[in-house]
Amino acid sequence: MAESHTEHAHHVTSDKVLNSTFLQLTGLMILTIVAARAPIDGPKLLPGFAGIFEGWSTLWFLTNAVALGIAIIKAVQVIRYFMGAQYASGLIRLYVVGGFIGFSLLYILFFDYVARPWEPVRGWENVPSTAFPRDARQDGGVPYPQFPSAKSE
Amino acid sequence: MSSHAHVADPDAPVVYEQYEDISQQQETYIVGMWSFLVTEVMMFGALFLIYSLYRWKFGHEFFIYHEHLSWQWAGLNTFNLLLSSFWMAKAVQAAQLGDHKKQIRLLWQVFACGLVFLVIKSIEWIPKFQIHLVPNNSFVWPPIDEPGLGGSPEHARIFYSLYFSMTGLHGLHVVIGMICMAVLATLVKRKSKVITDYIPTEMVGLYWHFVDLVWIFLYPLFYLIPK
Repeated sequence: MAESHTEHAHHVTSDKVLNSTFLQLTGLMILTIVAARAPIDGPKLLPGFAGIFEGWSTLWFLTNAVALGIAIIKAVQVIRYFMGAQYASGLIRLYVVGGFIGFSLLYILFFDYVARPWEPVRGWENVPSTAFPRDARQDGGVPYPQFPSAKSE
Repeated sequence: MSSHAHVADPDAPVVYEQYEDISQQQETYIVGMWSFLVTEVMMFGALFLIYSLYRWKFGHEFFIYHEHLSWQWAGLNTFNLLLSSFWMAKAVQAAQLGDHKKQIRLLWQVFACGLVFLVIKSIEWIPKFQIHLVPNNSFVWPPIDEPGLGGSPEHARIFYSLYFSMTGLHGLHVVIGMICMAVLATLVKRKSKVITDYIPTEMVGLYWHFVDLVWIFLYPLFYLIPK
């Protein structure tokens, strides 16, 4: 099938590509629901196979990764075929990729939150009103340094 | 789709003087639209980042809070948005091929999907206002209709703040997309001089696909949290 029309400067995505992308996206949507719900309802749905589903709750990390993985595949398909990045020029693709690289850089912020327990700061010790207190380490390996009480004159 | 009128095309795009040719002009428009979408990615990105932090901190509790949301309604909305994106891509294709009748019909179909999305969203949202799950001073956790749900009220409040701000900002984008869709369909219908080629449809399309993209991530993050 001729996907390019000489009288147009742009690429016209064929019906075949659009239809198959839509079917893929619908299939992936169903898969993501099944992947998220099956572990929970599995023993109820298939009582005879309860043993198989027992380990599921411990696989929370895996099910999270599956859900996000599917979402990323869906997003890539939408960007490639519906938004036409697959057939776009290098400059356009650079912008497409650039935005998502910029987004991933935001996650550098996690360094701060991960490291907070490592270096306690006076005045921030276990402040209950903050969602991310600079709390002491819970592993018991490193003792929490005690600051001298403020203004001990 | 190979049969086209090649002579005296009334739809022939206008090349403005600052561009070398039509392909450079169209590329410029698309790059411009994507630069705008990059800023949108960063705006939603900040919210996704905050969500990630709290999910990381209170992951197990987030599972309890999400039990009160309806994954069925949201699933229907996910399919609804996928369908609208598909029709939008078809509308762009119709615009490229100069089939304006089909293009206008598809644009209104996308508009209808947006409307269905907002109706389903209201079905989800309105009861939450009634049972005080909106994170203002009257916030109540556990919810009145499901007093058995556990978790701390402070953390539930964080979850519902994120839920309302993220789905709310997304809903606002749906509304803006629908306005663009209606304006575009009307302009095409009236054979407005503003529309000289398929590019306006492509721009609105890129925006609408972006709205769908955001929902692709919101759906598993809010409605399908694994245990």
